[in-house]
Amino acid sequence: MNEILWYTSRATGIVSIVLLTYVVVAGVIISGRRRPHGASPTILMALHRWIALGMSVFLLLHITTAIAETYVNINWISFVVPFTSGYAPFQVGLGTLAFDLMIAVLVTSYLRHRIPERRWKGVHWLAYGLWPIAVIHGFTLGTSNEWVLRLITLACGVVGLLAIAWRINARHHDRRRRDVILEQEWS
Amino acid sequence: MTSTSPQLTGVRLLDALDASGLTGRGGAAFPSAVKLRAMTKRHTAVIVNACDGELGAVKDGWVVANHLDELLHGADLVRGLARGAVTFAAHRGSGTERRLRSAGVDVLDAPSRYVSSEESSLISLSQGGLARPMTKRSLYIQGGRDSTGRRIAPTIVLNAETVWRIAQIAERGPEWFRRFGTASEPGPRLASVGGYVGRPVVVETQAGVPVGELLAAARTPADAEYVLVNGLGGAFASIAGVSSAAWSREGLAPFGGRLGPGIIDVVDPRRCPLDMVTELLAYAAGESAGQCGPCMFGVPELSGLWQQYVRTPSARHRRALDINLGLLPGRGGCKFPDGVAGLAVNALAVFADHITEHAAGRCRYAARRTA
Amino acid sequence: MSSGVRAEGSVPLQVDRMACTGHGVCAQILPRNIALDAHGYPIVLDDRVDREEGDTAIRMCPARALYWKGS
Repeated sequence: MNEILWYTSRATGIVSIVLLTYVVVAGVIISGRRRPHGASPTILMALHRWIALGMSVFLLLHITTAIAETYVNINWISFVVPFTSGYAPFQVGLGTLAFDLMIAVLVTSYLRHRIPERRWKGVHWLAYGLWPIAVIHGFTLGTSNEWVLRLITLACGVVGLLAIAWRINARHHDRRRRDVILEQEWS
Repeated sequence: MTSTSPQLTGVRLLDALDASGLTGRGGAAFPSAVKLRAMTKRHTAVIVNACDGELGAVKDGWVVANHLDELLHGADLVRGLARGAVTFAAHRGSGTERRLRSAGVDVLDAPSRYVSSEESSLISLSQGGLARPMTKRSLYIQGGRDSTGRRIAPTIVLNAETVWRIAQIAERGPEWFRRFGTASEPGPRLASVGGYVGRPVVVETQAGVPVGELLAAARTPADAEYVLVNGLGGAFASIAGVSSAAWSREGLAPFGGRLGPGIIDVVDPRRCPLDMVTELLAYAAGESAGQCGPCMFGVPELSGLWQQYVRTPSARHRRALDINLGLLPGRGGCKFPDGVAGLAVNALAVFADHITEHAAGRCRYAARRTA
Repeated sequence: MSSGVRAEGSVPLQVDRMACTGHGVCAQILPRNIALDAHGYPIVLDDRVDREEGDTAIRMCPARALYWKGS
């Protein structure tokens, strides 16, 4: 039984990091690109939202199985309080931290139309923090005989970084024009 | 000036303003009593707008320069209703700003940008934001939020001349006010007449007078041909046509004009009017607040398409221009693109003959310039 | 109408032009009501929108630039 829990936590962990990377990349493309026509913005937006939801399910499973299994000592408090785990407190703590940030992002996104837009935006930007934390958590907790999982995690890291690098450089016309005009005297 | 009857304040003032039919003198002509009644019981800040933001406007500065006491009294009356702090807005570096500061009142100095004197721009500026229009999703008179969700405190903005009129009505009563103007546009009004005139002047007048009377007050030369009524958001008209028309909504409507902020700019007959429009549109292109796509792309595009059309008045260029003009009204974050588009549409009609001349490679104004 | 129920399309759907950055999701979800100009910004052809479709478009707009009038 415990072995099942152990393998489930590893498997759901890797699925979570892949899906999270997908969500982040989709989000980056949505915010960084404009195409006047076509279905892609809607599809991207739908995927961004739905994959985030799906990832949450895998993530909850990942955390509960990791805590429930007895091979390593992680207690329930580590669900939400970072760096309190008995086993690998720092690496596990990174995961907890990422999860805490994710709760904030998910809740504010669910309540987006009921809170001020700048609040939603400020919290959503935490995603740029939580994603690398999650990747490092995943990579450092990989074991040497699970090199496939580590490779996948690494690949997620690379893909995500490329997307973010593109986002930093790519300026679409709306943002560019707004910024140029913002430089003028307005106060 | 001593009054023989008791001053009107509070609810009785609002009733008097209702009866007087006073409408905003800043250009939108919204019924002032209705606007004041829209304030809620919370403290509402007051901004008296003396910016003279439209091109050619000078009347608000004139009120500050010549009727400051009455203006301050009017602001006091409004403060009694609003229960918030009163601020006077003027463009930075203007004579109006200097005069207001010397008077010791709280001054909001707005940057010299075209849209910065718009009501919501001033509200934004007064609360630590930029002097750019805010989304019209909220009625800021009762407080609301801008597009980023920032909370905006309730604020009412009134044109300086309007506030002056409020003081006058409180003193002399609504019947006095209604003795002037027309039934639908009652009360004394100021008109700024300038440009190619003998003497630029602010005329104390009223709706219904012949436009020619206003032009005469500024000693407009006989060789003047066109006027631009209400600046960048206004309309051109030939003096021959509009001179005998009444300066009122009905009188100016056939020319695409309206009372608005009361500006008449006489166009220099030695210059090609199409060049003037080119300049106005180029100015407009640089004055977009850059807050919405249709304006920040559409207005500079209009300026370019206009120049292209005036240079080569082909059907293809005209079509491109028409398409651009069709996509400006009602699609901006504020009324700036509407005003600019309206001016261009009007210019295309008023100067149609001259555009034809350009198409044939001639311009009668070129000859005048060398003469 | 005294009840809180609104007839379909009786409250117009509006665009907060300052929030809108031209993603184009609205035109995709409401093709009969919204088209896009050459720069990708919405042209509202008909602001009377089916309640459900409108709610979806409001939810899906990445810039939160759509709203029912009065809300």
